[in-house]
Amino acid sequence: MISRMCNGVPPRTMALLGALLAAFLAAPWVANDYLLTVLIFILYLAYTGQAWNIMMGFAGQFSLGHAIYVGLGAYVAALLFTRFGIGPWIGLLAAIAVAAACGAIIGFLAFRFNVAGVYFAILTIAFAEFARLGFDHLDVVNASAGLFLPVAQYAHNDLWRLRGDPTMFYYVILAATVAAFILCRMLLHSRMGYFWLAIREDEQAARAAGIDTFRYKMYAVMISAAVTSFGGVFYAFFYNNLFPEQVFNISNSVEIILGPVIGGIGTLFGPILGAFVLTGLAESLNSVLAAFGLDLPGAKQVFYGVCLLLVVVALPEGVWPPLARRFGLKRGVQ
Amino acid sequence: MAYIRTLPSRRRLLAGAAAIVTTAAAPVVLRAQSGPLKVGVLLPRSGFEAGIGQDCQRGVELAPAIFKSMGLPELSIMNGDTESNVEAARTRAENLINDGAQLLVGAFDSGQTTAVAQVAEQKGIPLVINIAAAPQITEQGYKFVFRNFPTAAMILGDAFANQKEVFATVGAAPKTVVFMHVNDTFGTAMAKGIGAVMPKFNMPYTIAQEIAYDPAARDLSVEVAKAKASNADALLVVSRLNDAMLLTREMVKQRWTPKAILSMGPGWYEDQYLKTLGKLSDGPLSFVPWYDPNKKLSKVLEAALAKKYPGINLNTNHVFTFEALLVAADAYKRAGSTDPKALADAIRTTNITDNVSIGAGIQFDAKGQNDKVKDGAVQNRGGKLVVLAPQAAADAKPEWPMKPYQDRV
Repeated sequence: MISRMCNGVPPRTMALLGALLAAFLAAPWVANDYLLTVLIFILYLAYTGQAWNIMMGFAGQFSLGHAIYVGLGAYVAALLFTRFGIGPWIGLLAAIAVAAACGAIIGFLAFRFNVAGVYFAILTIAFAEFARLGFDHLDVVNASAGLFLPVAQYAHNDLWRLRGDPTMFYYVILAATVAAFILCRMLLHSRMGYFWLAIREDEQAARAAGIDTFRYKMYAVMISAAVTSFGGVFYAFFYNNLFPEQVFNISNSVEIILGPVIGGIGTLFGPILGAFVLTGLAESLNSVLAAFGLDLPGAKQVFYGVCLLLVVVALPEGVWPPLARRFGLKRGVQ
Repeated sequence: MAYIRTLPSRRRLLAGAAAIVTTAAAPVVLRAQSGPLKVGVLLPRSGFEAGIGQDCQRGVELAPAIFKSMGLPELSIMNGDTESNVEAARTRAENLINDGAQLLVGAFDSGQTTAVAQVAEQKGIPLVINIAAAPQITEQGYKFVFRNFPTAAMILGDAFANQKEVFATVGAAPKTVVFMHVNDTFGTAMAKGIGAVMPKFNMPYTIAQEIAYDPAARDLSVEVAKAKASNADALLVVSRLNDAMLLTREMVKQRWTPKAILSMGPGWYEDQYLKTLGKLSDGPLSFVPWYDPNKKLSKVLEAALAKKYPGINLNTNHVFTFEALLVAADAYKRAGSTDPKALADAIRTTNITDNVSIGAGIQFDAKGQNDKVKDGAVQNRGGKLVVLAPQAAADAKPEWPMKPYQDRV
């Protein structure tokens, strides 16, 4: 299976992947807790960006409401944990089921009634907003007062209950990001992946070629939702508090898509590179400003805006595709 | 090759020994040094809470000069912007600690504060919360987290107690109120809280009608018409700034002046409300965490604010952020050390009576909560704010009933 997965990947790409993985694995030994927290956030964005990429990058369905799947994953797992003592890994199964079901409802409504393009994006925003307002009034999750998870005392790491120090969370999100990368590569090079690409490029032509576009778009939405839900579970157990206003907020949806947009929509490396470029450089900017004794709140947001502007104007494909072409990494791993 | 062993001279030996002793003692010297305490201040100074975060920052900027006059040790402030989100709050907390912060202050919002609290607890760095009302924060068994701000339940309880005190002072009380509230997260939570807490206080009024509205509404004429038609004696309201101004303008237009406006949230006491509406802003009562104008330090803080930021009234944001730093400076003075554990121990035994907020002073219970802090009843008077209750903090008598809007020239 591994050899099949690596099939067609240029050696220098394999070397790059290996070096990257080794660097990530070694990071906790050299990085302080601050850097580790930044890396956790980068990997979280890379993971959720990868999940969003399945829907938009592969199948061409533009979602602007992915916060709903993060939120559902977070709330389902957190609720099971706080109310029934059910651990996050069991909770994850429920979270995946709920998020996939939600994705199925949105997908069914959209694809059954030919809601596409920007209208589909608006529909996804609408659902995320419904969820935000609904959870704001849902007493079982403590409504707008917020759902708090009991906090661990870090005497030891409990992987089964996801209670522990940042290093444990780092390896969890690293493993998830690697798994999402592998899953996306497998999906992209599967029969379904090729169908998605056909749908993305020209849905009518795909339908004319005999592809059941409704079914494969539904698969894309459900898989993307299910994968995203783990991001929510991670978020809940890492930050330990959930407020509907924050979790389901459209700014979260936008944050999820920024990585792939900057890195390159539809590519495997794009979401990872985009998350690094955005968060890594923004944090560096903060450090540089602090070193010069400058206190400029909001500089990061301005930086995000400038990055987006530069990418839209100079690199409309995103940062990764030209880099991959330049260094001969294109074949195999996009 | 010839090898000549040279013994160190006595002078060199002494110098070496001194160097070793100095190096070994360095941590002790560092911990006990009299330099400024490095305090990381986490506030949402960008994002959707930027306005409030920047207002809190004013409290930070007023602190150094006042502390100096009080004989408190110097603080070295390290600012961190939480960007109004949980992820950035956690990252900034880690960053500040990594950069040497020995104590944290912040972070205004309950979600962001929870994220910061975890980092503080894990690192064993004391966190003094300036503003955050979620009760859960001090229910986690934390050893390094301290809150000098009332919990949501304390805020609501005090609000009703203060209302009753105001009614007793004026010898009158509304029989009915119309309850208007925004339908956002805050408004809905407050509406639920009021519904749950009010029965415990045996209030003299009943809620004749409840009207929820969108905080982003451009027109509240229908809602105000409904409120007026309810014939309620008073308006009980949970709003924000823009809708508070909109409601007032609509009440003026519809010639409806209730006997009292009882606000349980922001908006009605804010500077922009007072400045925008001028004489029409007079009269509403706000029940909020506030400062005691009779306390010596309040007068000092008020004077400092007026000097540095003319035209801005002292408010909750300034007061509680300033007090969080006061707790830090006081603890540092008593601990005589920047060692986080010693600081946390010192904070635990805090007993500041010369403070600003209403109540007996600043002390922390076993959970790290200041259970002595009280809310106040505040009334708008001629562009200023006076405190009516609790009695110990009052600096004016209530103006009751409200002067009709149409009689204000």
